Amino acid sequence: MKIFRYGAAVIAVVIALAPVYWLVTISLKREVDQFAYPPQWIGFTTTLAHYREAFAGGSFAAYFENSVFLAAISTVAALLAGVPAAYGLARFEWPRKWDERIGDWILSTRMLPPIVTIVPLFLMLREARLLNSLSGLAIVYTGFNLPFVVWMMRGFFEEVPREIEEAAMLDGESRMGALLRIVLPLVKPGLAATAVFCLVVAWNEFLFALILTETDAAMTLPVGIASHVTQYEIQWGVMSAAGVVAMIPVLIFAAAAQKYLVRGLSLGAVKG
Amino acid sequence: MSVIAAPARGRRVPEGFWWVFPSILVLLALSIYPLLYAVKLSLADRRNFTRLLSDRLFFTAGVQTIVLTLAALAIEFALGLALAVLIDSLARGRTFFRTALLVPMLLPPVVAAVAWRLIYNPQFGVLNGSLRRLGFDTSHLTWTSGEGSALASVILVDVWEWTPFLFLLLSAGLQAIPTEPLEAARVDGAGAWRIFCDVTLPLLKPTIVLALLLRGMDLVRIFDQIFILTQGGPGTATETVSLYIYRTAFRFSNFGYAAAMSFVLLAATLLFSRGLLKAMRAR
Repeated sequence: MKIFRYGAAVIAVVIALAPVYWLVTISLKREVDQFAYPPQWIGFTTTLAHYREAFAGGSFAAYFENSVFLAAISTVAALLAGVPAAYGLARFEWPRKWDERIGDWILSTRMLPPIVTIVPLFLMLREARLLNSLSGLAIVYTGFNLPFVVWMMRGFFEEVPREIEEAAMLDGESRMGALLRIVLPLVKPGLAATAVFCLVVAWNEFLFALILTETDAAMTLPVGIASHVTQYEIQWGVMSAAGVVAMIPVLIFAAAAQKYLVRGLSLGAVKG
Repeated sequence: MSVIAAPARGRRVPEGFWWVFPSILVLLALSIYPLLYAVKLSLADRRNFTRLLSDRLFFTAGVQTIVLTLAALAIEFALGLALAVLIDSLARGRTFFRTALLVPMLLPPVVAAVAWRLIYNPQFGVLNGSLRRLGFDTSHLTWTSGEGSALASVILVDVWEWTPFLFLLLSAGLQAIPTEPLEAARVDGAGAWRIFCDVTLPLLKPTIVLALLLRGMDLVRIFDQIFILTQGGPGTATETVSLYIYRTAFRFSNFGYAAAMSFVLLAATLLFSRGLLKAMRAR
């Protein structure tokens, strides 16, 4: 019975990881081996040629840079606007439950399907001449991540006892000083986890990036990969190499924020 | 103490308001304004809404979106719950299994879809290759390129990718259940299955509702995987509402009609989000 249970768990893990492993092998195989029959799971000749072709010669290095820049800038912007909002909702007295109403409204903007706002956003950015630019996409991502920051950070702030900052304020700290010097250091792990989630969302995002960028100057890694898939002749090696590189930062970040994974994925609802 | 009087007109502005104000401005500009803009676009031509009612393709896309959402949700829930119970019952290695099972969900969706395109290819994909090696006849297994099997194949990818999400939330829910009621039921002589149905499941219900709503809301807007895997084809076999809106707006430049269709999707989302807001506040 016990063996049976472990067997089932191992099978589940194999199913979860096999497609990822296969992608990695394709990125490391010579072209002749990629689609050999029978499929080669192990013991094939490895090569880094596809990685070199994608990143040294090809345009994926530029896509990678774009993705890094976008994720970083939109995360910082979302935190700058969202953290004070979260603090405001968590800490002040609001008449007639306005804190709840504002909080719900903020969260509901996150629930809008992107396809609903993408048409007007496309037209707005076109008018502002921000299509095909990293700034345009960064603005959109900031708006996308902001509700998430507010909800996550509000939960973390609410877990800090009020007495701590009230004591600091009695000692002469201003409200802002108490937030920066007393409260923020206490919620640092939560802040880091929130930032990681924003980074990952921006890094993985596809639809907005697909529609708002067309040139190498602003294309992100997912769009770059996708544009190679839809071509007539697909370079599977190059694409797999780019895919492997695209997933590595996410896995590292997820490992770093593992403790808060449940909380982040449930928009702060399950404290995990 | 925290409510200060705004001196000018003697009306009270809550102090916290100024902390929230910048975020409200950003969201007004990036969510509410676009929403109103979409209303204006769709109303520019009345026919946008009458056309909706007679658009066969929109109807097909809608039905397929519903089928995909319900099927994927049901399977992911059943598997996620089974996995959560299974891993929870293991004496050791729980952290390892939990971490390894999460990987599919963390990948960029585009990368996951690319991996599955490699796997599904009928001629040289590893799936048919492995099945052939095991002695199966794979000549009729066309996966995403067969009209009859494409939607099921897309659902299978979603199940692979997102069962971990249900698993993770339900796992957390299981761990948060107090042990006393379970002990009490055991002392009373209830069997494992009875305990699961009568004690565990009711206690898990809030987490189940939340997880289903979160996943369901994302499923009705599914785009990335299908865009990579099939582009809605073959024919219209995997066309979904999001994909059809995308095509209408950005291939055929019919922004008004795309906006009109997007409101149907928005209405479907509202059903989920109202329940979701309630579920989140209940916690």
